Amino acid sequence: MTETSQSVQQNIYKPAIMKIVARHDEAPGVKTMRVEFQNPTDLELFKQRYRTGMFGLYGVYGEGESTFCVASPETRNEYIEFTFRQSGRVTSALANADIGDVITFRGPYGNRFPIEQFYGKNLIFVSGGIALPPTRSVIWSCLDQREKFGKITIVYGARTVADLVYKHELEEWGKRDDIDLVLTVDPGGETPDWKHRIGFVPTVLEQAAPSPENCIAVICGPPIMIKFTLISLKKLGFDESNVYTTLENRMKCGVGKCGRCNVGSIYVCKEGPVFTAAEVSRMPQADL
Amino acid sequence: MTRILQSDNLDKCVARWREAGLTVIGPVKNESSSSYAAVEKAAEFDFSLIMPDRSIKELFFPQTEPMLQYTIKKQRIDTSDFTPPPEKRIIFGARPCDASGLAIDDPLFGWDYKDNFWFQRRDTTVIVTIACTKADDFCMCTSLKLVPDSTKGSDVLLRPLQNNKGWQVEELTDRGRDAFNEIADLLQDGSEPAAPTAVVAEKFNLDTCVAWLQKPENFESTFWREISMRCIGCASCTFLCPTCHCFDFQDEGDTYSGIRRKNWDSCSFALFTMHTSGHNPRATQSARWRQRIMHKFNYFPGKFNVNSCSGCGRCSRQCPVDMGITETLQAISTLQP
Repeated sequence: MTETSQSVQQNIYKPAIMKIVARHDEAPGVKTMRVEFQNPTDLELFKQRYRTGMFGLYGVYGEGESTFCVASPETRNEYIEFTFRQSGRVTSALANADIGDVITFRGPYGNRFPIEQFYGKNLIFVSGGIALPPTRSVIWSCLDQREKFGKITIVYGARTVADLVYKHELEEWGKRDDIDLVLTVDPGGETPDWKHRIGFVPTVLEQAAPSPENCIAVICGPPIMIKFTLISLKKLGFDESNVYTTLENRMKCGVGKCGRCNVGSIYVCKEGPVFTAAEVSRMPQADL
Repeated sequence: MTRILQSDNLDKCVARWREAGLTVIGPVKNESSSSYAAVEKAAEFDFSLIMPDRSIKELFFPQTEPMLQYTIKKQRIDTSDFTPPPEKRIIFGARPCDASGLAIDDPLFGWDYKDNFWFQRRDTTVIVTIACTKADDFCMCTSLKLVPDSTKGSDVLLRPLQNNKGWQVEELTDRGRDAFNEIADLLQDGSEPAAPTAVVAEKFNLDTCVAWLQKPENFESTFWREISMRCIGCASCTFLCPTCHCFDFQDEGDTYSGIRRKNWDSCSFALFTMHTSGHNPRATQSARWRQRIMHKFNYFPGKFNVNSCSGCGRCSRQCPVDMGITETLQAISTLQP
């Protein structure tokens, strides 16, 4: 056994060192970084473990660690991409890091989207604002093996046009004829040359009216969007067990010990972050 | 006939264990409080305490502890590990509730990812527990289905003699036997009877409480608001608790080097679960107190098949506003199931 994996075993809180190889401004205050492992053993461990849906703790020494999903798919596991909004101490330090700088990463932790169970089915992705990253990881996992899935629909909205993330990929998806892309911004968030929908995500989803027949829905967004999107999906006839989402609770350890991500008896870091809507509805709603 | 350790010989035992390289730890009273602390002589022990104010937890999961050290140079980071000091220790005079508390937390620190900061200390520490012959109004081990002479989590159990001049020795594990082999010649065979163990009245019926907690509709009961109205969120109960295990990481240092520490944290604090967005899943003190009770008696047993409470009663004994687990569970046991 190599030195690194031994030390991982000894100290489960010791992160891997990553180098920033690309960074991209997505929206005001929102950035995407691509980072690569500096130690080949860490990369090997990551490739063995990483499945779409898992999360990690990204850190800057002296500031701390923050939890985000891995926004890149398991089909592209040579690197990690993550997207975050600069809003606190750690995210500010991350935002200030430049290409060539090094940061830390712990993970991948948590469970995954059961993508092979989606084979042969139609997929609808619904997300809002900065919640596209976890969805994007699933979207690319499916697009990288496009032939295994039926119709793919993506409904994505943000408050304003500027707040849409992955604009370059939205453009790419919009051009493909094997994806139905529905973009929307909240009323008032449009620009004069905005050619897509105006309206809240759940409303736009109802207008798009995807058939629940043989269809899996993956929804990510702020709690208020999730709440109303679930109502819309129900109206459209979706069964809760065919709707997947991710919970993004505050975490420190990521490995089921520090005690803060629990919702009822569920440790989001270990049993999540991916849940079906049916599982979420069984949790104590007041603790969500 | 049982083996007996005479009180008069304890000082020699302490010296012998210290010579063998063990750090000897036991209940010690100081000016403001009491805790399990290292001693050089047996006279420093205070066996008259019902239990030390501070639980045994801090010897395995310290209030603050370095996890790793980092240095940052231009585009290069070096991380080095901290490991707990490799010292071997013997804790003489642990209370059964404290020793049980350690056993309760073992599965938590070990599931899937093994926290070696905990286990390294667990593996190098001998726990010699003294059965309780007295209890106070806050003790509640019997309500948790434990007993004042529980062997759970202990390597050796001592029963105080009726004449108060020593202890009957009951070795429970190989680790305990090894430590007592060091002092084998200081033990005697004897027939002196042990003092009766403390009588700890049952304060509530645990099964009734758990049944109530497990009913989903009771999660939203107004009971939680009422019972926790007094709570000031000081977190004393969680810090003193032998089984509360929540922690935080904090970096101490500057841009170029520093230490990442694991610090005690508490579900009583509002910031504990606060999201960056400002959304807080447990936004009120009643939601936080409900989490603590639910976690100990509903969620934790669901995961690890054991209650996350050993009945020491410190949460009630030292609560500045006179509430605690006992008061809460007593109130629950009077509610309609």
